[in-house]
Amino acid sequence: MKKILYTAVLGTMLVLGAGCSKTKLDLYPYNQVATEQAFVDQQAVTFDVNGMYQGLRASGSYYVGGIWNILGDVLADNLVLSQAGRQSQKTYYQWTYNSTSTYGLFTGGYTITRRANAILENIGGFTPGTFKNDAMGQALAVRGLVYFDMARAYSKIYVNAADADYTLPYVTTTSATNMPASEPLKGFYDKVIADLVQAEGLISATGSGVTNIRMNKQAVAGLLARVYLYKGDYTNCIAAATRAIGATPTASTIPSIALFPGIWTDATASDGAVLFKVKNTSLDNLNTQGVNYYQAVTGGIKSEYVVDYTFNSLFQATDVRKSSYISTSAYNGVMQNHIIKYAGRAGTPAGVVDGKAIRVAEVLLARMEAEYRNGAATIPAAVADLILLKSNRYTGYVSTVDAALTGTALLNEILLQRRLELAFEGDRFWDLKRLNQPVVRDAVHGENADGSGTPPSSTIATLAVGDFKFNLPYPQGELTFNPAIKQNPGYN
Amino acid sequence: MKKLLLVSLCFLLLCASQVFAQGKTITGTVTSKEDGLPLPGVSVKVVGTQIGTQTNANGVYSIAVPSTATKLRFSYVSFVQQDVAIGSSSKISVSLNPDAKALSEVVVVGYQTIARKDVVGAIANVDGKELEAKPIASFTQLLQGTAPGVQVVGASGRPGSNGVIRIRGTGSISAGSDPLIVVDGIQVQSAAYNAINPDDIESVSILKDAAAVSIYGSRGSNGVLVVTTKAGKPNAPQLRYSFRFGKTERQALKNVQLMSSAEKLQYEYEAQYTNPTLDSMMTNRGITATAQATGTKINWIPAATRQNLWDIAISRGAGDWAKYLFQTATMRTHEVSLSGGADKLTYYLSGNINDNPGVERFSQFNRKGGRLNVTYQAKEWFKVGTNIGVTATHDNRLRENYNTQNSGGALYFFNPYEQPYLNDGSYNSTWQGFSPLEGAVNNPVSYDRVNQFGSFYGEASFFKHLKLKSQYAINYNTLAYQTYLQPGSNLSNILGYSQKTDQNQTDFFSSITNTANWNQTVGKHSFNGLIGNEYDKDEFYNSTATARGFPSKNYTTLENAATPTVASTSRTQFSLISYFASLSYDYDKRYYVTGSFRRDGSSRFGADVRFANFSSIGLAWDLKNEKFWTLPSVISDLKLRGSYGTSGNNNIGEYQALGTYSLTSKYNDQTVAIPLKLSNPTLTWETTYQKDLGLTFGFLDSRITGEVDYYSRENKNLLYNVNVSTTTGFSSYVGNVGAVKNSGIELSLTGTVIRQKDFKWSLTANYSHNDNKVTALYSDNATGVSANGLNKLKIGEPINVFYLVNEKGVDPTDGREVYYNIDGTETKTFSGGQSQIQSGKSPNVKYYGTFGTDLSYKGVDLSVRLYYSGGNYIYNQIWMDEVSSSSVTGNLFTEASNYWKKPGDVTPYPRVIDPATGKPDPIQATENFSTKFLEKGDYVSLRDVTLGYTLKNKYTKKIGLVGGIRLFAQGTNLAIWTKFHGNPEVSEAGETTSYSGNLALYGYPPIRGYTFGIDVKF
Repeated sequence: MKKILYTAVLGTMLVLGAGCSKTKLDLYPYNQVATEQAFVDQQAVTFDVNGMYQGLRASGSYYVGGIWNILGDVLADNLVLSQAGRQSQKTYYQWTYNSTSTYGLFTGGYTITRRANAILENIGGFTPGTFKNDAMGQALAVRGLVYFDMARAYSKIYVNAADADYTLPYVTTTSATNMPASEPLKGFYDKVIADLVQAEGLISATGSGVTNIRMNKQAVAGLLARVYLYKGDYTNCIAAATRAIGATPTASTIPSIALFPGIWTDATASDGAVLFKVKNTSLDNLNTQGVNYYQAVTGGIKSEYVVDYTFNSLFQATDVRKSSYISTSAYNGVMQNHIIKYAGRAGTPAGVVDGKAIRVAEVLLARMEAEYRNGAATIPAAVADLILLKSNRYTGYVSTVDAALTGTALLNEILLQRRLELAFEGDRFWDLKRLNQPVVRDAVHGENADGSGTPPSSTIATLAVGDFKFNLPYPQGELTFNPAIKQNPGYN
Repeated sequence: MKKLLLVSLCFLLLCASQVFAQGKTITGTVTSKEDGLPLPGVSVKVVGTQIGTQTNANGVYSIAVPSTATKLRFSYVSFVQQDVAIGSSSKISVSLNPDAKALSEVVVVGYQTIARKDVVGAIANVDGKELEAKPIASFTQLLQGTAPGVQVVGASGRPGSNGVIRIRGTGSISAGSDPLIVVDGIQVQSAAYNAINPDDIESVSILKDAAAVSIYGSRGSNGVLVVTTKAGKPNAPQLRYSFRFGKTERQALKNVQLMSSAEKLQYEYEAQYTNPTLDSMMTNRGITATAQATGTKINWIPAATRQNLWDIAISRGAGDWAKYLFQTATMRTHEVSLSGGADKLTYYLSGNINDNPGVERFSQFNRKGGRLNVTYQAKEWFKVGTNIGVTATHDNRLRENYNTQNSGGALYFFNPYEQPYLNDGSYNSTWQGFSPLEGAVNNPVSYDRVNQFGSFYGEASFFKHLKLKSQYAINYNTLAYQTYLQPGSNLSNILGYSQKTDQNQTDFFSSITNTANWNQTVGKHSFNGLIGNEYDKDEFYNSTATARGFPSKNYTTLENAATPTVASTSRTQFSLISYFASLSYDYDKRYYVTGSFRRDGSSRFGADVRFANFSSIGLAWDLKNEKFWTLPSVISDLKLRGSYGTSGNNNIGEYQALGTYSLTSKYNDQTVAIPLKLSNPTLTWETTYQKDLGLTFGFLDSRITGEVDYYSRENKNLLYNVNVSTTTGFSSYVGNVGAVKNSGIELSLTGTVIRQKDFKWSLTANYSHNDNKVTALYSDNATGVSANGLNKLKIGEPINVFYLVNEKGVDPTDGREVYYNIDGTETKTFSGGQSQIQSGKSPNVKYYGTFGTDLSYKGVDLSVRLYYSGGNYIYNQIWMDEVSSSSVTGNLFTEASNYWKKPGDVTPYPRVIDPATGKPDPIQATENFSTKFLEKGDYVSLRDVTLGYTLKNKYTKKIGLVGGIRLFAQGTNLAIWTKFHGNPEVSEAGETTSYSGNLALYGYPPIRGYTFGIDVKF
């Protein structure tokens, strides 16, 4: 009897497949949502907007977890390689990059802009109103921010460009089969500007819950000032800058000398000086910005790069930036000028600090330069802005000399202040490119504080104006796959 | 459960030993015809009745027989059964003939066991004895060289690390190419491979061709290893105890050596490099020097001062860092097993402890495990059985990153004149700013696993020819992973916090299998049919918690920490539904035909394309049994086999077909949604099409036996990334593109030179040749596996063919490296854009095999195995790094000194100093990725030498050691012959490379070792 029962049961199981319903193969992840579900409501879109900023933070090439805060410096004349370091970023320092070295800047950028594109593609169905406008505005702003940075790295600057010059494609779709082509550089800038202008109209202004850890109206205007400066559109640069920081920035946005160091430790009292920063919480725990420059080791700071000897001498003793940016201390018994701008907030974890993307001081510097270049009428305003900045940087500052500056002397002072202010923020190389100036490193002095050590060798001491290395090469993988994108001249 | 089984086992044993008391009593002794020794546990039965008994420890039996009894039947495993007529005498002693073929005659194949002689597919069988007793804790690594067609690379010397197994080459590009491993009917997850105790293994069947693997359908495309653990035999209990004691050490580097302190300091001086150690010594001593046009401080001080500093540095320095980073490790294993059985019950019970510290200091692996295999014939027609194995492993692991925190790297990166410890006993952080010794002690990483294998089955055989079986099997693995940045550690001081992460994973894999097996012989026609279904489900669950701020390193649980920072869980699942059938038929043991069919559905694929069908057909012709002719008597066995069929591969991550947004990241500690994957609803099975032609032969009364096979297998619709423009924000999605073909021959040969009762000598060899070739791709010339762009995927070339700039050598006139452009012109400017496909040169091993001999004389036995492997190329990055003058910050190979110094010098390495400036030449300082450091990976290893002595006679029996005592000494990798610079057996160095054998990087070094052991059988 049992025998028959067993046979019957087993036979049935065999025939019916042990109850193996095909639905048992329908398994879904627990930590993901289907792409179609990613824009179903306001909460979902809020998560998507957060995703753009997460991209800025996590990218290995951009603001917090990446090399962006050193790239523009290591390519230029602000730094000298410390021989005792790990020799990181050496391909940039030595200008030996080729089409396989710059993958991250390209793909990393498009990874972020794709997130913005997805929001813009899917936001259409939402009820018009503040939420929709702000989400759209943020997506346009982040896309403009990233595309502008990519264009700075890979291409000529608008002011120096010819109509025939091209740059990377301004992709606005999420289509996976898109094979976009190189675009005219000038048209690309115009698209960035159009996006940012639209964003400025849509996005919420700071205040009442809108903070500087997201793009906001003031930050977009500040970014526009930056882009207009690169375009050489000085009237618009001045106007945008004024929208961003006001005709005369207040004490909270241009903090006093006493509060200046607090910008670099994310102190609340100094936070007004930053229009947009990428948040890096203690849980995110990214110390890449500092590690790009040095590692703390037992018994001191082990720098990758230290301050170029000549550049260091341009920082006056009364300049609050000198003590905020640079620390002279011994590593292995040898004094060096280490860059401590990213040493971190008070307390632990060490070296974890927000990534400052747009600062009031930069917008002010852009405005004073634009005012200078815009013609005689605005030169007094340039001088006023210069004095405003310097009076909040130099202890015991007396404005008499600067008040009397005119012509090239005034421009040089503005550009010097720009270099000093934005030092070690990844700006210098793009600025030299914009100004059509060569990179000239101190080829006599080495990495030690007294100038001894190993100076850059003759092959890496200067990069002449017009050298093709000013424009980074596009990644070969992309060019191979998508021949519509043209490589920059000089790279094979 | 286990306890219950044990109790019932003991109870049943008691029952079985009861003896009927009636009628006439017959006594006698049963001995072995081979050596004349008495056999214990022989079953003695009265034919035609249920009456039976067993011989005792002295081979003596006593049985009461009814007057109607006519015959006694003596049966014993591995001996030929014998019937003896009952006469008038009350004493019957017999001597049984050993049945040499008894063990090798059955082969475990898919879902059933068949006779070796009926095998149609290409199946290699590895006896468990070949896996025993070596100082390697990993069953996968032990398979190296055991069978043709099975390539195993076991480069990492980390105890318990898995070998990389490839059956008939690498068939997949991005999906897994590992074979399926099935232990007692349950698929084993790779995390549990090293939990399998090699001593518990009875045999491993390696299924290679389509006829053999197709029954595993979906998972068979890269071959199948069917592992069977030991079962009890129906005779007297045998207790076995073994102890092994071994030593392992790091394999020495071949053909290269690191500089001594004096050599390195001299090199630095020539290279105008002042190292931080000497620099601070000069600073501390107030030694100053006037800067000169060339050189650095070390060049400017007086020679006597310099020598004095050097002498101090040499006397203080570590010298050979290996002394501090590595050790000779002592391995110990204890094992006890009890096996036996009675008429209705068999059991095998074992327990073992294996303690295996690695050759890297501070690493550790130990394993404790037990196994219980029981079968019980509950009814005449119904059998139940269970195989349960439980293993706990503890693994202290050191980092294997390509950086200074890895001991395998520190050996090269640290200078011999640097001190491991400062004078006050604290760790010296060296020029790297990090002490690996300190890191290993103060930042411990450990893996604690519990792996449980269990299968439970019922088997009903009735209607004479039909056998039904259902089995429920599980592989349940848990992992507790701990990584601790202890307070007070160097890293914790730098980062400003102490931190510990506790991760707990459970992986529950279960499988329900139902089969019906029909076996019938009608005249000369034999049929064997099998149908069945299977449902597999895997549930993976992970929880991770991290906290910072520990009061002291003595607190190791997170509850003591000040700030919890991560609390996270995650979960993934997959499932597989399968239906399968096979039918084998032979006519008169002459013509064989076998076919199989399987339909599989996997949760990993697109909803409409989850199911696929796989099938195979195999034919065989036994030419020896053929009636139309009579083969010369010199041929004792000759069988021709052929097969063709398909199998599948779904070894990719979960949910790849779905387009999704991930929610796992945060911004400002709030939820984010980011695009994770592009969808591909058409994602489906990778399919292997394989053909095989084989010949099994035996000559001279089977003195020479062997097998030769030709195969060709092509994996099509590869599960492989389909590129998209990176401007889309993605680089690829998983699709079905491309094909890879492996073809080759396999040969195994065994020759018995002497086969006498006390003296046996045999020679064995196997050889495998495999050609790997990409036959189709989505886009030709795609980037291969290496992040450095060293490899390509190109149609007509093997997977990951090397792609490098051709190097000519160093120009004797100016000491600069000369490269070739693609057009053949020479250049001294290195450009990665001039890289070329290095046709035919890839990390894929082309040939490998074993030569061996086995010799036994009386109680002494000797076995020797040479393993050889070659035809592959390895990019030797260690060599490149260690001869580049830009690596002067760390140690270098002595041959780095052989650089160009003056015009006319013919040297392998370029100039260090530019003669024009008298300063270091930064361009020549770095050796570039070129053919210069692409090396053949050929080697021969004295893989295994075992010398044993077995004491088995009446004296050992008298003291209860029925099975005797065996003493042995064994050596692993005692010698290696190669031209490679370093260690040629490179593999996936844990955390550094992703294609076996591609790069020589700084992984855990391979080992050599020896073992002494004793086996005692009671």
